[in-house]
Amino acid sequence: MSIDAEKPLIQVKGLGKAFGQVRVLKDINVDIRKGDVVFVVGPSGSGKSTFLRCLNRLEEPTEGKIFFEGVDILDRKTNIDEHRQKMGMVFQTFNLFPHMTILKNLTIAPMKLQHKSREEAEKTAMELLARVGLADRADAYPNQLSGGQKQRIAIVRALCMKPDVMLFDEPTSALDPEMVGEVLGVMRELAREKMTMVVVTHEMGFAREIATRVMFMEGGNFVEEAPPEEFFGNPKNERLKNFLSKVL
Amino acid sequence: MWENFSEAIYLNFIKDDRWKYYTDGLKVTLTITLFAVLLGVAIGLVVGIIRATHERTHKLKIMNFLCGIYLTVIRGTPVVVQLMIIYYIILASARNKIPVAILAFGINSGAYVAEIFRSGIMSIDNGQMEAGRSLGFNYIQTMWYVVLPQAFKNVLPALCNEFIALLKETSVSGYIALQDLTKAGDIVRSRTFNPFFPLFTVAAIYLICVIVLTQCIKLLERRLRQSEH
Ligand SMILES: Nc1ncnc2c1ncn2[C@@H]1O[C@H](COP(=O)(O)OP(=O)(O)O)[C@@H](O)[C@H]1O
Ligand SMILES: [Mg+2]
Repeated sequence: MSIDAEKPLIQVKGLGKAFGQVRVLKDINVDIRKGDVVFVVGPSGSGKSTFLRCLNRLEEPTEGKIFFEGVDILDRKTNIDEHRQKMGMVFQTFNLFPHMTILKNLTIAPMKLQHKSREEAEKTAMELLARVGLADRADAYPNQLSGGQKQRIAIVRALCMKPDVMLFDEPTSALDPEMVGEVLGVMRELAREKMTMVVVTHEMGFAREIATRVMFMEGGNFVEEAPPEEFFGNPKNERLKNFLSKVL
Repeated sequence: MWENFSEAIYLNFIKDDRWKYYTDGLKVTLTITLFAVLLGVAIGLVVGIIRATHERTHKLKIMNFLCGIYLTVIRGTPVVVQLMIIYYIILASARNKIPVAILAFGINSGAYVAEIFRSGIMSIDNGQMEAGRSLGFNYIQTMWYVVLPQAFKNVLPALCNEFIALLKETSVSGYIALQDLTKAGDIVRSRTFNPFFPLFTVAAIYLICVIVLTQCIKLLERRLRQSEH
């Protein structure tokens, strides 16, 4: 689908999510444009993951609308599986498939869902693997890899589907400090190639470096949103100031 | 002493080709067990997926309820009673008894296999399901490509135990006048009027089958462990 330059890639309108009686997200309105690198920061438990997971309906929103590439993905007639192919997701805990080799992890979805031939799928996978410096691990199994390697593979797995947006939920939080850099390096590269990204993270320095916009979530809503210089240099919201004073 | 022994061997195995009772009976026992296992795994897979899906997502309420009834009834009544109900009441007009026994033991085994698969699926981290779904696989595809292969590996020992238990349970097939291995011993006993040889022969054959199966399973498990790094 060709995207109208004017139209947001993802449009979130009045999004709400309740778990039972507990309203975790309240009336969220956000536009994410093509090429945006949106960072979501905020205290733990404020609803960042829930927001991100609503975008591809891993959580079912209880209110509002989400349009992805112009399609209302909360509509009951929408086949969410088709749209998820265009929304890559990277999890804090990697979630690689442990019973498959790395190469199989990378090729199974393109082969089964996009009906790519094995050669084609493997060629794409090997090119991407080479770019994250892991071409020599194609035949390994996930538990033969370090955390940083696993997360780079998880990113490549999502990229093999040629997604239009990548969603990251604290991609470096489960990593030993010395492995954070290699994962951020891959993300930096993606941002440079104008991949649209939504990133939940506690890596403030990284947000400052590659974000086009930073959004602060507090109590289930975005209370401040600004380009990174302004967000970190001149925060307005009191709670954001308080938050930044703790994490910077 | 030796003469008594060779006389007994003659009476129990050689006279009138009586050994054939045992080999024919073993064939019946193995046929029933094998096909009942296949049926049981098929039923157990479907029921186990429904139960696990309900547990994780609270969906499939009606199907889960029906599966619950199935499990309660099957596990709450003796298999020999189930066998007779199916043979004498539900399929009263059936001519061939072996398919009846396969059906009865398969339905029975399915209930136990279902619980094995349910717990196997529940033992796989939900992140695996989420990763599969986030790539665009639907629920069934994710089950098939991602969750079940891992669950299957975990439950293989339990499945094999179920297989062995079933082999022994088919010994009640004589209740519907099927000539399985146990019944074969019974027939020989009624000819020789001596229970010693027929019963120990039957017991030994079951034991050998179980030992061979157990060894095969151990080999299979070792293979699987090697393929996982
Ligand atoms: N599956 C769930 N059931 C009930 N409550 C949940 C569930 N997932 C998250 N929550 C609650 O929603 C709130 C927001 O969680 P989350 O989005 O994970 O926050 P964050 O990612 O910002 O730390 C928390 O209070 C959490 O306890
Ligand atoms: Mg979170």
